[in-house]
Amino acid sequence: MALEDYEHDSLRCTRCSYCKWIPWESMRHPDFMQGCPSVGRYDWHAYAAGGKFNMALSLMKGRIDYTDAFLDAVYRCQMDGSCDVSCKSVQDIEPLQSMQELRIKCVQDGQGNPAHMLTVEGLKKEDNMMQRLKADRGKWAEGLPVKDLTKEKAKVVYHAGCKYAFDEELWPTVRGGLTLLMKAGIDVGIMGRDEACCGGRAYEMGYLGELIKYAEHNKETFKTAGVETLVTPCSDGYQTFKVLYDKIGQKLDIEVLHITEYIHRLIKEGKIKLTKKVPLTVTYHDPCHLGRLAEPWIHWKGKEVKVLGQMIVHDPPKKYRRGANGVYDIPRDILRSIPGLKLVEMYRIRESAWCCGAGGGVKDAYPDFAIWTGAERLKEAKAVGAKAIVSTCPWCTRNFMDTVKETAEKIEVYDIIELVQKAI
Amino acid sequence: MALKKESYEALEDVVGPEYISQDPAIQETYNQVWGNKLVFGEKWSTRPAAVLLPGSTEEVQAIVRVCNRYKISFKPFSSGFEIMSTALASENAIILDLRRMNKILEIDVKNMHAVVEPYVSIYRLQLELAKHGLFIGAVSAGPEAGVIASHCCHFGSGNTQVFAGGLGRNVLGCEWVLPTGEILRMGSAEAGNGWYSADGPGFSLRGVLRGHAGANGGHGVITKCSAKLYPWYGPPEWQLVGTPPAVKRLEKVLDGFKAFVPTFATRDDAWDALREVGQAEIGFSVMATIGLLEMGEGNDELWEVIQKINPEEAQLAARSLLVVLGANTTREMEYRERCFRKIVDKWHGQLLPPLNDPKYLAHMFSLMPWSLGTIREVFRPCTDFFVSPCTDGTEDMIKNQNTAAVKGLMPYVQKGAIMQPGPAAYHLPYENYSVGSHIETVFLWDPYNDNSLQGVNEWIGETLDPHGKFAKFGVPLLGGGLQIEPVSHVVQNWGPVYDNYHVWLAKIKEALDPDNLGDWSAYVPPVFP
Amino acid sequence: MAGQDELVKIVGKNSVLDSPDILEEYSRDLSFVPRVRPRCVVKPGNAGEVQEIVKWANRTLTSLVPVSSGPPHFRGDTIPGMGGTVIVDLSRMKKIIRIDPKNRVAMVEPGVTFAELQPELEKAGLSAYMPLCPRSSKSVIGSMLERDPITMPSHHWDCIDPLLCGEIIFGTGDKLRSGEAAGPDTIEEQWKIGKAQMTPFGLGQFDESRLVSGAQGTIGIITWATLKCRSSSKLNRTFFIPSETIEPLIDLSYQLIRIRLGDYCFIVNDLNLASLFAQNPEEIKTLRDALPRWILVVSFEGYGELPEEKVLYQEADFRDMIVRTGQLKPMDMVSGVTAEDVSVLLSRPSDEPYWKLRYKGGCHDTFFLTTLDKTPGFIEVMSTLSRSCKYPSEDIGVYIQPVVQGTSCHCEFDVYYDPANPTEGDRTRRLVTEGGEELAKMGGFFSRPYGQWAKIAYSRATETTIVQRKMKRIFDPNNILNPGKLCF
Repeated sequence: MALEDYEHDSLRCTRCSYCKWIPWESMRHPDFMQGCPSVGRYDWHAYAAGGKFNMALSLMKGRIDYTDAFLDAVYRCQMDGSCDVSCKSVQDIEPLQSMQELRIKCVQDGQGNPAHMLTVEGLKKEDNMMQRLKADRGKWAEGLPVKDLTKEKAKVVYHAGCKYAFDEELWPTVRGGLTLLMKAGIDVGIMGRDEACCGGRAYEMGYLGELIKYAEHNKETFKTAGVETLVTPCSDGYQTFKVLYDKIGQKLDIEVLHITEYIHRLIKEGKIKLTKKVPLTVTYHDPCHLGRLAEPWIHWKGKEVKVLGQMIVHDPPKKYRRGANGVYDIPRDILRSIPGLKLVEMYRIRESAWCCGAGGGVKDAYPDFAIWTGAERLKEAKAVGAKAIVSTCPWCTRNFMDTVKETAEKIEVYDIIELVQKAI
Repeated sequence: MALKKESYEALEDVVGPEYISQDPAIQETYNQVWGNKLVFGEKWSTRPAAVLLPGSTEEVQAIVRVCNRYKISFKPFSSGFEIMSTALASENAIILDLRRMNKILEIDVKNMHAVVEPYVSIYRLQLELAKHGLFIGAVSAGPEAGVIASHCCHFGSGNTQVFAGGLGRNVLGCEWVLPTGEILRMGSAEAGNGWYSADGPGFSLRGVLRGHAGANGGHGVITKCSAKLYPWYGPPEWQLVGTPPAVKRLEKVLDGFKAFVPTFATRDDAWDALREVGQAEIGFSVMATIGLLEMGEGNDELWEVIQKINPEEAQLAARSLLVVLGANTTREMEYRERCFRKIVDKWHGQLLPPLNDPKYLAHMFSLMPWSLGTIREVFRPCTDFFVSPCTDGTEDMIKNQNTAAVKGLMPYVQKGAIMQPGPAAYHLPYENYSVGSHIETVFLWDPYNDNSLQGVNEWIGETLDPHGKFAKFGVPLLGGGLQIEPVSHVVQNWGPVYDNYHVWLAKIKEALDPDNLGDWSAYVPPVFP
Repeated sequence: MAGQDELVKIVGKNSVLDSPDILEEYSRDLSFVPRVRPRCVVKPGNAGEVQEIVKWANRTLTSLVPVSSGPPHFRGDTIPGMGGTVIVDLSRMKKIIRIDPKNRVAMVEPGVTFAELQPELEKAGLSAYMPLCPRSSKSVIGSMLERDPITMPSHHWDCIDPLLCGEIIFGTGDKLRSGEAAGPDTIEEQWKIGKAQMTPFGLGQFDESRLVSGAQGTIGIITWATLKCRSSSKLNRTFFIPSETIEPLIDLSYQLIRIRLGDYCFIVNDLNLASLFAQNPEEIKTLRDALPRWILVVSFEGYGELPEEKVLYQEADFRDMIVRTGQLKPMDMVSGVTAEDVSVLLSRPSDEPYWKLRYKGGCHDTFFLTTLDKTPGFIEVMSTLSRSCKYPSEDIGVYIQPVVQGTSCHCEFDVYYDPANPTEGDRTRRLVTEGGEELAKMGGFFSRPYGQWAKIAYSRATETTIVQRKMKRIFDPNNILNPGKLCF
């Protein structure tokens, strides 16, 4: 695909501004109606998906060129997809895909974001997004009696992901996830030092080439390792392996699971028993990459046709990804099965969840904006009476932890893995 | 066109560098809106010289003063969702995006008014008001429409106008930055007495604020409005369920309400019943059904459903009504329902089971008080919609107009310019029918399809003729409300047929705005071209 | 008079009046607005004559004062503000042009009074929305243009109700029909396609009806108007809710109007109810002393599809509501006055003598807008003021009328006095003048600023003044229409 493939969509953007809000049908509280952190923070229409449709169209038609304001609006965006869900509640157009192509075009035209460029340089050199040494990648698992898939075979590969691999404060969680699997008797291994980035975050930044490269690499690696299942505690990675690889024609031949999906399965099979009370009122934050962005990719090839005179349909019929099929219930089921735990819901949940703030390269390039976004979410968590916010993605957890440190929004922050561990 | 450095800096002095921009990328996000292709021949209207985001009335006033000093035209908007919001008559013009002015300043529960700033949306206010058992009636352009836009600045009818009125009749006060930079607070608010009356002393300046249509910034900036409120019969909160969001609906009609979809043998019977239900003083929403199909999550899904339905079913909307009754007590609901059924029987109507299935009624109800379905219904199918002709008046006159409108539009439907089955009537009484009813002839079309664009242009041309067959029903395009005056000249051309009201309007403009700085795209110039 | 010949040519000799007796009648009224004698009185018979008069006035720079109601007048708005004024008395224009029962619309000329219209409406199954027992000579159009509050707040959507459309002759002499009546074609041709001149929304982006309402004839003269009517009641139930303090009645009024329960709804004090019902001063005094201090009058009118059922359920809901107050009781009768009697009174104009003149022969109303919850404070202040002016507070009638569906409230003090008694007159004048100032300071909004209230109101409305003057320069550039009124 290319940006030009979304000219039709740009023309049809009505400027209804639904992209700025969660779907109106989903709203329940007047203080928590906004969906888009970008326009929520920066106010200019350009920061909303509708504005980016406008900019893209004007760029394509030669009416404008790249400017600082243009690029600022493009990159100060978590690519979280809230706009996409809202827009597609009333339209058959693709704002997120258009924004993705716009970023790819910006990068191809040499208009990448400087902070992203630094990160991607590090990726090219060291196969990770954290600007750390490849040689240190496996350190998070030191001491764990786990198979090394570069030397041994296992049915399941546990992919930690760049964030977990290099964020020491989060190592107990990533180790915890692996330990849960091992204790449940799962035949699991890790790539350790040889684990490579999934390429997803770089793609979100606009680097299509990196996604293709890592898709090819990882597909080959997993084939060589002979694994049947990939499980990851990182929602970003999950979405990349499951959805983005499929999107670019590199669908993995193995089962791809998020750690919560595996834990859920193990609980159902009785291999994980949650018996200890965890007396805590928590609220669950849907990571974008496990929720609305993780909806399976739908391949479609066909054409637009008119029926009833002027009504636009497709031949064959085109199914749009409107946020219905993300992973929403499994994490909640897990939380509900923890004895003593009370789950209260925020106002913007499931496909309408407010982003944690870290995605799309914002954590790298605009850390203050990431914190602002996180603070808005923590406000909401507190507004529903939660004492803790629980997520299941290291980017969310890291950003919430940073937000607690740097702002007045104090609340406990957990990953589901931690609470499951407490309940065993 | 770029602003002169000195004037740009003067504006920047007011809002700060963060809230002003003349970057082309920013400018191009303030000149693209649905309808532009029809009016301007392309997606883009005039690019603003700069865009500002003021944060307060004082900033707006200071900006207007700068505009007076440097003779810069200005156009304010809140949601910015209509051609009138972004269209500019001059290149030397700035847009004021009032998004930062988003406070609900006061809700007087006892005296039933709410004072709001421009970016407060109708739905946000609804969510707040419901907690207090109150409701706001407003245009049904969608839940995102601004309260101030609806009440003070813009045309538009609302699904609940049988109960909650509309078109400026719900303005109990406003704060208005005049084009010359003074601040006018109308009525009781000027002396600081509260926001309960916009009228006086003496004659009401609501007479200058708006009429059937609003000025959309053509005579200044409305920075506060006191909106009249109505009782809400429903619960303090509600939740729609379903996935994806396009198909969310209430699980049932809210407690405190009942909904019905009666169907009649003919359109005339349906519309006589509509008048009588209005006059019976029982309705919370009374309207002719504009469509009966659920829109589904997308066009392909909708098409699948359409292919399966009986063609006769498709015609039912033209002779059905949506009637929602709200009541405070069981007795009141029983009475209202008996009245309603009596009227239906009188006009030989029926409550057909599929259209009165509780789940279906919950769907219809979900759309009604908050107009949640508007964007999906009118934009998604073909890209754009339009309304012409439109009129207000008695049911008898409206029937005549509708007959002529449907007949006039059918050739365009037959040649595929407009979506089948044809125009729909957005048609509903005001205020228990005590001031008549409203009808908009709605049709869906694609501006990027040559056949459609040509057809719609021809059709609008027909309705724009002040001596044509539609002239007798009323000024087209919602009394000038859905048109760009420098392009379509509706007020100028139709004024002579309507006792020269255009002359008075131009004089008002001249008196308020001698330098013509308030953008007149949706208003009039002091001197017609 | 110079130019009087031209007036004779326009309206005919018999319709130009200049005898001293007649001029004296028009030079004053029961307000304290200073007497100014008009030059003559003209009585046009149709809109064309009105238009010609206005054009003549522009040519000769003669000021005009339009009058539609018959005497007595109370507010000073029909007294010339300057010498050389011609009174345009519209009372000859008495056509009830059309009554449309289907759409519940009547069309009348300015000389039509409620006394003349109501019986015709009743024949058509309709009833007018009226202010509280208007005098029999009160013009329907005059009342609407003055924004007199109607007694049924649940039916009062907007302050200009029940006015719909009208034909306006502006101060320039130009004619404009308002709302959907503006065109095209003649009214008769409009009727042929089913129009009834019933949608009042302004033309384009202004609202001409609002510019002539509350304007005291300073912007234009109306030569016909349509008004909304209601279905006449087949039956009703009317109740008094008495109370020695007003606060419980205010709370109850809020509850009723909020849910649109009931039709008539207003509060009067003992004196005003006595004045409405009794016929002479002694009867009024006796009745006043017997009545409870405050009375809320509420009715449930039976009309429409199921009139009996409407009254039944509304009364039942009302009784439930009253029980919840814990202290109030609905009564069919108080001190010999039956609610039935009052219901009949409310359905038509006042019998002669006009109820406000029965007690002492004269009356000066002081009224303004506020919100219902603030009225006790104003009552308290008025009582204090009356004492300071040595005016007996028990001789002040009080009328509290919720308006615009309860979002505000017309608060009226009827100061009764004997016009032949100079001391009483002085005390009354002092009370209404100083009183007006105090009430405005307290937050009373004189939205209809008659006489001396204009100064009080406009001193607090500087920007409104500026904009209104701009409008005046458009619609009456030579300031020939009622100069000296409002801020002109």
